[in-house]
Amino acid sequence: MTTADRSEQDVLQELTADQRALLKRVLEIERARLHVSAADLTDDLLSAVKEILP
Amino acid sequence: MRIHAIKLVNFRQFRGEQGFDLRSDSIRRVTLIFGGNGAGKTTVLNAFTWALYGSMSDDVEEQERMVTDSVWRALPIGAKTEVAVELTFDHKGHDYRLRRRAELRKESDEQRSPSPEIDLWEIKAEGSSEKVGAPQERILSILPRVVSRFFFFNGERIEKLVQKGSYSEVQQDIKALLGLEQVERAIEHLPKVDRRLTADLKRHGGEKAKEIQTAIDDLRDREDASQEELQVLDGGLATLNEEREGVTSLLRQHASAAPIQNRRDSVTRELAEAKQALKAATQDQAALIATRGFLAFTDDLVAKTAKLATTLYQKGALPAPLKREFVDELLAQGRCICGTPLAEHTDPREHVQEWRQRAGLQAVEAAWQQLTGQITAIPGARKEFGESLQGIVRRLSTERDRVSRFEEELSELRGQLENSRLEDVQQLESKRIDLDHRIGAKQQRIGSAKTALEQIRKEIAQRTNERSRAEVTDELAAKARARSDLVQSVRRALAEILEIRSESMRDRLDAELKVIFAKITIKPYVPRLSERFELALYQDVNGVELAVPKSTGENQILSLSFVAAVSKLAREIQKERRAEGDLSGDANYPIVMDAAFGSLDQNYQREVSRALAQMAPQLVVLVSKSQGLGHVVGELMPYVSHVGVIATHTTTQGDASEDIEFEGCSYPYICSSAEADYAELTVIK
Repeated sequence: MTTADRSEQDVLQELTADQRALLKRVLEIERARLHVSAADLTDDLLSAVKEILP
Repeated sequence: MRIHAIKLVNFRQFRGEQGFDLRSDSIRRVTLIFGGNGAGKTTVLNAFTWALYGSMSDDVEEQERMVTDSVWRALPIGAKTEVAVELTFDHKGHDYRLRRRAELRKESDEQRSPSPEIDLWEIKAEGSSEKVGAPQERILSILPRVVSRFFFFNGERIEKLVQKGSYSEVQQDIKALLGLEQVERAIEHLPKVDRRLTADLKRHGGEKAKEIQTAIDDLRDREDASQEELQVLDGGLATLNEEREGVTSLLRQHASAAPIQNRRDSVTRELAEAKQALKAATQDQAALIATRGFLAFTDDLVAKTAKLATTLYQKGALPAPLKREFVDELLAQGRCICGTPLAEHTDPREHVQEWRQRAGLQAVEAAWQQLTGQITAIPGARKEFGESLQGIVRRLSTERDRVSRFEEELSELRGQLENSRLEDVQQLESKRIDLDHRIGAKQQRIGSAKTALEQIRKEIAQRTNERSRAEVTDELAAKARARSDLVQSVRRALAEILEIRSESMRDRLDAELKVIFAKITIKPYVPRLSERFELALYQDVNGVELAVPKSTGENQILSLSFVAAVSKLAREIQKERRAEGDLSGDANYPIVMDAAFGSLDQNYQREVSRALAQMAPQLVVLVSKSQGLGHVVGELMPYVSHVGVIATHTTTQGDASEDIEFEGCSYPYICSSAEADYAELTVIK
C-alpha cells in the first residue's frame, strides 16, 4: 500500500458500490459515537453490513 | 457553531441574572470584554465550558462555590437558590438554546458541589422550540469535548499545548477534529464484526469452508497477538528513547559542569596538600623548638659560662674525664679496672701511679678544650636555630594562605555546582551505552514482529482467497462469506484512507502553521510539526538548521498559531469530499480566549491581535485594560462587533475605584466601597 500518489478519492473510486456504501455507513456510525470511548458498536456495524447485503 | 448570547445566573462572582450579546457577522466577528485581575474573565471562559460540558478548567479554585458568595451568604438556611448558564447558538443551520442549571438548598454556609441538569432546545423557524432528548450527546456531537481545548482556552496557559508530554493528548484531539479518529476506531471495530459473520460460515459452510475459516480465525488471533506485541514493543521503545534522552541531557549538563567539577576536584586535592604541608610545618616548628629552642636563651649564658669556665680552668677545678681520685681508689683497692693486682713495688702498680700524675693536668686541659669548643659553637648554633625558625614561620604563613585561598575557591565552586546534581559521568556513559544496546535490540524485535505480522497477513489473504473459491452450498454460509469479504475490503480501504489522511493532515497543518507563525513572529524562526505532532522551532544559521530554545512568549505564539491552523483546517475539511459523504454545513467554531496576550510584548500583542482577528469566524477575547487598550484595540477594532467590561464591585473601603476609557467615554472598571463583592458584565458597545 503506498500513499505517495494516491488520494482518498482514488481509494474510494476503486471500491464497489457496496463497499463504498458500507465504508460511508461505518464512518457515520463511528463519528456519531466518537465521544463515547467505551462504546461497543459491533451490533450497529453488523446491522449496517446486513442492510447493504441483506 | 456560532454563539449568539450567554446568560449567567448567580454564576460564581456574577450576581443575579446577567447576559451578554455575542452575535456577530462575518466581518465584525470579534467581541472584546475587558476585566481587571480577578474580575471574572476566567469565570466567563469557564461559563462556556460549564454550560457545554459541566466542567471548569483545573485552574479554577473552590469549584464547589458555584453560587455568588454574597447571594449564598444572604440566603436563609433552608431556602433555595439557583445557578445557571444559558447559551444560545446555531450550528449547521439549526438554532439551539442550551441551559445548564442547578438548584441548591442552603444547609450551611458551606456550599456543596451542585448537581446541574442540562436542557437543550432546538428553536424552530417559526419561533417554537423542541426539547432535545439527549442534550449532552447532541452537544458532544456538535463540538466533541476533547477538541474544545482548541476553542476555549486561557492564553497564559496555552503554551502547555506545545510542551513535551502533552503531544499524545493533543495528537488524539487533532485526530478527532480532523476526522482521523473515526477511521482508526472503525479499523479497530470491524474485525469484531467480521468474527461474528464468519461464525455463521463455520457453522453452515461445510467441512472445507469450516477448515479454511478456522485457519483464518487462528491467523487472525495470531495477527491480534502480533499487533499487541508490536504495540508493547513500540511503547517500550518510546520509553527507552525517552530514558536515553534523559541520560543524554544529563551528560550534556555534565559536559557544561565538567570544567567546574574538574577544578573543584583539583582544588580539593590542593587544599588537602596545603593542609598536610601546614601540619608538617607545625610539627617541624614544634620539633625544632623542643630540641633547639633553648638556644634562643643562650645569648648571655655563653659569656657567663665562658667567664666561669676560665676561672675554674685557672684553678684547675674543671671537671675532667679521668679523675685522680679514681686512680687513688684503684691503688687503695690494689686492683686495676682490668683485674690486674696492684701490689706494692710491682710494675703494674707503678704504671697506674704514673697515670695518677698525668690524670690531674691532662684531664683539666682536655676538659677545658672541650668546654671552650662547645661554648664557641653556641652563638653559631643559635644563629642557625633562628634562621631555621624563621624558615618554618615562612612555611607556616605560606601554607596558611594556601589553605585559606583553596577553602574560599572550593566554597565558590561548590556553590556553582549546587544545582547540578549529576550522577557520575562514567555511570551515565555506561547507562547510555546500555540503553543504545537495548534500543537496538528492541528495534530488531520490532523489525521481526513486523515481518511476522506481514507474513500472517499474507497468509490471511491467501486463505481468504481460498475461502472465496471454496464450494459453499448453504445459502446462509454463502451470505456470511460475501459479508465477510465486504467487511475486509472496507477495512483495507480504511487503513489506506487513514494513512492518506494522517499524512495529508500533518502536511497541511504544518504548512498552515508556518504561514500563520510567519505573520506573527518578528524572528526568523520556522515552526515544524513532526510526524508525532510535536511542535518545534528552527532557525537557519548560515545554512545549518538549528533548534531554537523557545521562551514562554514564543511558546504562546507557537500555540496560538497552532490553534489557528487547527481551527482553519477543521473548517476546510468540512467542505471537502470525504469518505463519510457530505459533511457540508457550518463547521465553524468560535474561539473564546482568556488572557489572550499572556505575557507578550507590545509588538507581539499587535501581531497576535491582527492574526486573531482573522483566526476564527467568531472570536471572544477577554483582556485586562492594560493588555487590551492601545495596540490590541487598534488592531481589533475594525472587526469588533461588541465590547463589554466586567466591572468589579468590591467592599474594600477607600478610593480604589477606577474607570476604563473607551472611545471617549468612561465606564466603571473597579467600584470600591460597594455593599457586596460581585462582578457586573456591562455592555459598552
